[in-house]
Amino acid sequence: MKQQLISEEDVIVEMKKALAETLRIEEDTIQPDSSLINDLGAESLDFLDVVYQMEQTFGIKMARHQVLEHVEELFGEDEAIDPDTGELTPGSVALLKLRFGEEGNQIEDGMDMDEVPTLVTVRSMARAVLDILDTLQEKCESCGATEWKRDGNKIVCAVCGEPGVFENGDDLTQAWLKKAQEEHKLF
Amino acid sequence: MPEEQPDHDAAGKNRLISLSLPILARADFGQRHPGGLLPVLNSMENQPFFGKVALVTGSSRGIGLAIATAMAREGADLVVNYRRSGKSVEKAEALCQQIRDMGRRAIAVQGDISVKADVQRMVKEGTEAMGRLDFLILNAAIAPFKPIEKLFEKELKQLVGVNYTGNILCLQAALPHLEKTDGNIVFVSSLGSRFYNTSYPLGSMKAAMEAVVRDCGESLRDRGVNMNGVCAGLVKTDSFKVLRQLWEGIEQIPEELFLQPEEVADVVTFLCSPSARAIRGQTLVVDHGMSNRLYHGG
Repeated sequence: MKQQLISEEDVIVEMKKALAETLRIEEDTIQPDSSLINDLGAESLDFLDVVYQMEQTFGIKMARHQVLEHVEELFGEDEAIDPDTGELTPGSVALLKLRFGEEGNQIEDGMDMDEVPTLVTVRSMARAVLDILDTLQEKCESCGATEWKRDGNKIVCAVCGEPGVFENGDDLTQAWLKKAQEEHKLF
Repeated sequence: MPEEQPDHDAAGKNRLISLSLPILARADFGQRHPGGLLPVLNSMENQPFFGKVALVTGSSRGIGLAIATAMAREGADLVVNYRRSGKSVEKAEALCQQIRDMGRRAIAVQGDISVKADVQRMVKEGTEAMGRLDFLILNAAIAPFKPIEKLFEKELKQLVGVNYTGNILCLQAALPHLEKTDGNIVFVSSLGSRFYNTSYPLGSMKAAMEAVVRDCGESLRDRGVNMNGVCAGLVKTDSFKVLRQLWEGIEQIPEELFLQPEEVADVVTFLCSPSARAIRGQTLVVDHGMSNRLYHGG
């Protein structure tokens, strides 16, 4: 269910804290549309630190694998990346444009797979967190209550205090991919 | 994924810089001591690896960096290998500078160990710059963190290409130089070679390489070269960041069971030292006893 307790702004605030700590930079240098790699100087391993901190902060499990890895797992090896050139396949280009929406303007045919992580911004990562939070179950697994409240940055049952349960990021990505494939026949 | 090409011009320039700086570094170091340069040089000569050269694959960060630093502290000159351009170059150069500040020589050489031409160039550049090779430390490793049954063919090729073939390519290229110095090879393994780790296909390559350690410890005996391994437990390096996300309960493992990279490095330097002369073809477990606790859940 779509939850109303934690907003995109709330997630961005926490993400700025995590990025500032991980990258040892000042929080006020981080903007919502900053590219983690191009603007903030993050490396792939820094993503893991930020993801870990988001998981600890909000009590969620984010995706362990990138969307293009899921594409190849679901639709076949080499469907996402041309094995000879390392470039995105036409299907991947179309898919990433769908995935990133307006922020995907830089995605174009022949783009190298190594450039894909540069598309990730503070906001797009915050949305990934929100997508997971929006899978909050309707009823508390422990007491059956349907009321939720915020306890710090975690969503808990308003009656018994049990933490909310969410889908994990990988399952969510795969579900989105299957739907996208059904609607657009990209691969 | 295409590899970024090495910047040969930059590598050549760095080599020249690295060869000239040690003299300055030693002189600076000496001037800070009341007895002048001579006592410092004398103390360096007493270091066990003084005048010897070590090549450490994948040494721009993590355990490899700790090993390179420890070898230099024992007096060795270093060939620092890193795989890709980008931030690794800065890290490798920073390490080389740190080693030079210790009064040792150091050179950074880019090279993907899974590419034979890269390995040959790495060994050639390293030995030409340093004049000899005494220690080959096989530390570089790369692998996806996913279950074996889910590996794509390209991931399998990389897994074997870097972590098995690549190590043997390094061994083969370095062997003619190691023969001349009665050298040592040390392979850095991990407990994943012996125990199940979730999403850790690298463990199977570590196991294969431990068998190589056993075989080459014997087959290289007549050529004057020794080979051993260090099987490291849990070390909080970069790969721990991934393990932390995949291994439920890893945070509950007592802190005293985790290793520091320097603790692995100390055993590597021991295996290269004369004190370890009776150890041949063995892989020593270095894990603060963690593996002994696994059977009852820690």
